[in-house]
Amino acid sequence: MSYQTFDIQRSITRKQTVALTGLLLILFVIAHLAGNLFIYGGPETFNGYAEKLEHLGPFLKIAEWGLALLFFVHVERVTVLIVQNIRAKGGLKRYIVDNSKGPRSWATRLMPYSGTYLLLYLIWHLYDFTWSNHEGSRSIINGKSYGLYGVVVNSFKDPLHSWLYVLAMCFLGLHLAHGVQSFIQTFAFNDTHVTRGLKKFSRLFAVAMVIGYSSIPLYVLYVLKV
Amino acid sequence: MSKKINLTLKVWRQKNCQSQGGFETYQAADIDTDMSFLEMLDVVNERLTREDKDPIAFDHDCREGICGMCGAVVNGQAHGPMKETTLCQLHMRHFKDGQTLVIEPFRAKAFAVIKDLSVDRSAFDRIIQAGGFISIKTGQAPDAHAIAVAKDKAEWAMDAAQCIGCGACVAACPNASAMLFVSAKIDHLNTLPQGSAELKARTLNMVKQMDQEGFGNCSNEYECEAACPKTISVKHIAKMNKMHRQSNLR
Ligand code: HEM
Ligand code: FES
Repeated sequence: MSYQTFDIQRSITRKQTVALTGLLLILFVIAHLAGNLFIYGGPETFNGYAEKLEHLGPFLKIAEWGLALLFFVHVERVTVLIVQNIRAKGGLKRYIVDNSKGPRSWATRLMPYSGTYLLLYLIWHLYDFTWSNHEGSRSIINGKSYGLYGVVVNSFKDPLHSWLYVLAMCFLGLHLAHGVQSFIQTFAFNDTHVTRGLKKFSRLFAVAMVIGYSSIPLYVLYVLKV
Repeated sequence: MSKKINLTLKVWRQKNCQSQGGFETYQAADIDTDMSFLEMLDVVNERLTREDKDPIAFDHDCREGICGMCGAVVNGQAHGPMKETTLCQLHMRHFKDGQTLVIEPFRAKAFAVIKDLSVDRSAFDRIIQAGGFISIKTGQAPDAHAIAVAKDKAEWAMDAAQCIGCGACVAACPNASAMLFVSAKIDHLNTLPQGSAELKARTLNMVKQMDQEGFGNCSNEYECEAACPKTISVKHIAKMNKMHRQSNLR
């Protein structure tokens, strides 16, 4: 019997592209958190880490463009999936009683929204810290410039700024709570056992990320004395 | 002991796939709680017929939960509120006196409404056809133990083979995806030695046909498994994901 291999438009292939980019983004999320935690070491440690990254030169550029590509592919493939799904169920309105029999959670329902919020947050975050002037007025604490460390501390001393970051991390948590178990199912790492433990793991991982990331703005806002 | 209950039904009525359709309200009076859901609809239809009105069209055949013909969405749930139950096996004792039931057809772009609650599920037949044949010797029936099958594989394949193709998975999936049905059909053949010779073609062609029929994509929400009257597990979807990837790469 004839058949056609490798067609990126196949639903399962497309979904696996989302899962692969999702997995790589998760690895980034873990690595980024590890880097951020250097803030607890004080200005020298944190700026030292940031400088080390800068010194990677071309490798940093490759990593940045790679990340941009990951985000782009993830969002583009997901958009196609969502448009197809809406078409497949015959429009946005379906049953007049919304009453699921299964385990559908809020994290699951909110995937497109948590994702969109993450994308908006990402752009703001890049303007805020990555592309901002690290030696300008925002970096100055008590009359002295503390570089990127100063920018971060000054930003998070503003409660609104801090809490918007925490909110973004909650959305990241929601995205991961569904996303982690989802990519495992999509890749079928679990093809012989059921997914209950997997879901628990997924949620625990999400909570760990939310706590890890949110601890930084909250630490600066409520604990750090300058 | 059986007792009688009265229900209000809001039923989706639609002349054919071209027409608009809408809800009509009916009273289902004096319903014996030992009746099945379909028998309750029969009672309502008898009355409608006596009143010279068009009876409600719904799919059914065996009425014993094995053919996969029946199905409707009751209060937002495919095959109604009970787990592991087809609509024909759903008893009226699970409903309360005076309750209002909203009854809608299985909705998906790939399942056109034929009339009222009756939908066209021939997309499933075309997916099965796309799977092609299996390589077995015809002629005299072979000895049952001529080909050894490991116990766990036999169990796995039989679990998948339970699928009756009713379409509740599509109806319950928030994306109207047919992944549970297709994975069950692919997996029960791919797992056995007799069916594994065509694994690659079967997997790729059935998934291709599934896409062409306009079903949605899986987003791992597992609503299908909860709605399945035969408890087909989503681990078959995982297995299909894996077989599809391997078929693509080799
Ligand atoms: C830090 C960034 C992000 C990470 C770590 C991430 C991770 C993931 C993971 C692991 C999945 C599950 C993949 C699967 O099983 O197929 C997923 C799915 C999804 N992602 Fe993201 N993602 C990120 C950003 C975004 C963004 C910016 C959007 C934008 C709209 C988005 C929208 C979605 C949607 C809608 C799904 C569900 C797809 C489906 O199940 O059909 N994600 N993401
Ligand atoms: S009528 Fe055969 S399964 Fe319900």
